[in-house]
Amino acid sequence: MNILTQFASTEPAQADIFTTLGIDWKTLILQIVAFVILVWLLGKFVYPWLMKQVDERQAAIEESVKAAEAAEQKAESAQEEVAKLLKEARKEARDIVATAKDEAAAAVEASESKAKSRADKIVADAHEQIEKDVIAARKALHNDTIDLVALATEKVLGKTVNEKLDSKVITAAVKEAN
Amino acid sequence: MAQRLSRRKIAAYYAEQLLAGNKNIAGELAAYLVDSRRIRELELIVRDVEAALMTRGVLLADITSSRTLTADAAKEIKSYLKAETKADTIHLRETVDADLLGGVRIAVPGSELDATLRHRLTQLKASKI
Repeated sequence: MNILTQFASTEPAQADIFTTLGIDWKTLILQIVAFVILVWLLGKFVYPWLMKQVDERQAAIEESVKAAEAAEQKAESAQEEVAKLLKEARKEARDIVATAKDEAAAAVEASESKAKSRADKIVADAHEQIEKDVIAARKALHNDTIDLVALATEKVLGKTVNEKLDSKVITAAVKEAN
Repeated sequence: MAQRLSRRKIAAYYAEQLLAGNKNIAGELAAYLVDSRRIRELELIVRDVEAALMTRGVLLADITSSRTLTADAAKEIKSYLKAETKADTIHLRETVDADLLGGVRIAVPGSELDATLRHRLTQLKASKI
């Protein structure tokens, strides 16, 4: 404080070049000292904090950049994953479509086969039924013929068999039995 | 009470008496059957008598035809029966049945030969399927 008071109360000693130039040594020294003090204070307190802030900011920025790069890489990775998934999905879709086509073809083939076998069975049944009908018709015809023949024979024999013919029949029957 | 005789014994006795010429045997048999209350067995006893006669060389054959047999037919039938049964005496008991249409049916104890046209027609009808 004394020095300051001293500098403030000091009067110009002599007029030299500095005085001519309007430079006051004391003021200059004081300013230099103040500047040095300022520099020292700045260097001691402000710059470190400032640099620290700057470093932190830079670190944050670098972190952000790294994070951005990581995000970008992650995005690329995700994009690749998406592409891969899309590729797999397309492949799976193709497989599903192919399987569906195969199954549809198999179903159609099975249906055709079933329809064919059913048609064959219907035809076979129809043939069998026709055959049965034919056999039944033949049987009916056979039986009707027998009835007719028996009836006709009975009618004819009742009128045509005379004593002589009857005797011949009896003789033949007895000889046949012998 | 008299002992119950079997049909076979009765038939054998009857046949023996018939062959021996006992003309009263029919009346005796009738009396026995009435007395022993066996009238219902008459038909069976007659059959047994016919069978007993057959074993003794006398054959009684039932002949059924649609017309009266001609002499040739009767002769043929007797010849046939003689060959078949080896009987010494053959009697034909003829029956006429117009429904037989023709042919002859010969029935002897234990067997029958149906050679009628009716039987042939019946066989034909039986062959229906």
